[in-house]
Amino acid sequence: MNSDKLDILLVEDNQDDMELALHALRREKLANNIFVARDGEQALDFLFCRGEFTQRSFDHPPKLVLLDLKLPKVDGMEVLKQVKADPRTRTIPVVIMTSSKEERDLVSGYNLGANSYIQKPVDFDQFRDTVKTVGLYWLITNQPPPLAEGFRHLDALAHDHDRQ
Amino acid sequence: MTMTASNDLALPSGPLRVLHVEDDQLDAELAVEALRKGGFSASVVLVQTESEFEQELRSHAPDIVIADYNLPNWNGMGVLEVVRRESPDIPLILVSGSLKDVTAVECIKAGATDYVSKDGLARLPEVIRRALREKHEHSLRDQAEKELARKAEELVRSNADLEQFAYIASHDLQEPLRMVTAYTQLLSERYRGKLDENADKFLGYASEGAQRMQVLIQDLLAFSRIGRNGFTSGSVDCNAVMEEVLQALASAIQDSGAVVTYGKLPAVWADRTHVSQVLQNLIGNAIKFRGKKPPAVSVQAEKAEQHWLFTVSDNGIGIAPEHAKNVFVVFQRLHPRAEYPGNGIGLAICEKIIEHYGGKIWVESEAGSGSTFKFTMPPPGPAERARP
Amino acid sequence: MKPAPQVLIVDDNPADVALVCEALAGSKHRSQINSVEDGVEALAFLNRTGSHGSALRPGLVLLDLNLPKKDGLAVLASMKASPDLRRIPVVIFSTSELRKDIVRSYDLGANCYVSKPGNLNEFFSAVKSIEAFWFAFASLPPQGE
Repeated sequence: MNSDKLDILLVEDNQDDMELALHALRREKLANNIFVARDGEQALDFLFCRGEFTQRSFDHPPKLVLLDLKLPKVDGMEVLKQVKADPRTRTIPVVIMTSSKEERDLVSGYNLGANSYIQKPVDFDQFRDTVKTVGLYWLITNQPPPLAEGFRHLDALAHDHDRQ
Repeated sequence: MTMTASNDLALPSGPLRVLHVEDDQLDAELAVEALRKGGFSASVVLVQTESEFEQELRSHAPDIVIADYNLPNWNGMGVLEVVRRESPDIPLILVSGSLKDVTAVECIKAGATDYVSKDGLARLPEVIRRALREKHEHSLRDQAEKELARKAEELVRSNADLEQFAYIASHDLQEPLRMVTAYTQLLSERYRGKLDENADKFLGYASEGAQRMQVLIQDLLAFSRIGRNGFTSGSVDCNAVMEEVLQALASAIQDSGAVVTYGKLPAVWADRTHVSQVLQNLIGNAIKFRGKKPPAVSVQAEKAEQHWLFTVSDNGIGIAPEHAKNVFVVFQRLHPRAEYPGNGIGLAICEKIIEHYGGKIWVESEAGSGSTFKFTMPPPGPAERARP
Repeated sequence: MKPAPQVLIVDDNPADVALVCEALAGSKHRSQINSVEDGVEALAFLNRTGSHGSALRPGLVLLDLNLPKKDGLAVLASMKASPDLRRIPVVIFSTSELRKDIVRSYDLGANCYVSKPGNLNEFFSAVKSIEAFWFAFASLPPQGE
């Protein structure tokens, strides 16, 4: 796998949802390199360049993380929390894509710093449309954080403003 | 022999201060006599040993050092070493009775200013005059070099200022321009056919003008960015760049029926974006400035002494020789906008890029018979640059 | 009845604010748009202090970076540091394409970063995409709490 130009990290344990999402993204030619993590632990190892992913670098993060909440081993909220707490990974856009309709999850998600929160439609066509729109918005309309050089400055920048 | 000491800036205004290394009293007096006869009023300090010499040299820098080549335990080469070490600017004249020509030449090669034989002391004044003149000329030359270096530095700084100004101006101009473009377009679309027909026309002109200005400013910004930070040179395969350029120009090529061919192109040492810009501008121009025939453009490269010489030739409308130089001037256009669109910055950008790499770009052309643009680029690697 | 989606535009250029309103006029989402011209007023609006005591909390904030009194990044930092305001999605909407501005924005918790296009059609298109994404696809935290 060419981890240099990784576009999307898809964290999804449901086989059907995963295949549908991959299909939608590839069909729109939105992303060339998509990595799928099947549980929260693998997602964290991937993003923190550890475990089976020690050859990965913090300088080449994915442009977007699509994160399901109900995951084995480590759940989505915990993944989100760790990613947004660490300066090395904090700037990665994380979009929660979940079937949960709990307002509690919605509020927690945004509070923990999720860039966005999407409820997965039940209908297959709508799901595909949603993934396509999410991809278009986050990869095309949006400017993902620039690579490498930007990151080296993070620590220096980190101390100017008040932050919780 | 008349002296014109007062007009000769090389000579000291007061007495000539001489440091004389000589152990024989008679020889010392003969030398002073020769100087007097030659029109010098000399104030002479006489020393015999190395330590006396060094001390005197350090404390009272003389105008000139005269040294006997053969002293006990210490010959002319020794004196030479001391002078070179302590005061390399002070001329040293060696005097000796038994100096053979061979050794004399050795001394001069080693840095002695001149020599005189004890039989030819009459030459001493002239030798001294020549030595002092040379020293004067050297110091004038040093000053001129320093001045030149200073001016060059100023020029670099002034150019940098100009570039920065162009960058800031273009950058800050974009914002109000964005407003004008957006709103003239909005007005145009919103009120088309709702006001009188002049209004439509006026709005159209305003809108076009604003959009053209946006392009102009973006080009100016691009122009001012060349040479600033953010570009890295590496080995660039020009064949690969050509493929990309042809892709970028695909619709222009298709619309005009152009045929673009290229020979085997080399690798050059530059920033890839720069190479791409130059080729794209030149080929784009070749297609744009076409005559009645479909454009035929050819890109070739040949090795010259220390660089690659590229040629982009076409069968278009050509350029009259008297205008050849002007085409590279920023915003200089040769044709009305209605006939050939463009704001006249493409070639200026090419020139700036090529010159950034120390090369040259020029055009050979006649009106009506196509143009040949030539430019030079450095090859990759110093080893390759040295190859014939 | 669900209140109309509220958008707060923080931008000191009234011409750009008007363009955003033009872009969203007639959209099916019927967003209600409020705007403030500087960073201090932005926070007063969001915190419902001063003259903005009865302001409705927006569901989305479009934030420019170069603002008088308090700049965009400072507003962003304040918002994300506040337990009440941090959950409101903030879209940085700025002409700046500087690396350091983009990185800094994400670092301070901006939800996304959209560069204001220079071309009118692209500008409208970007604004409409922003509205469509946040109001039709994304789920937003309950508004107006």
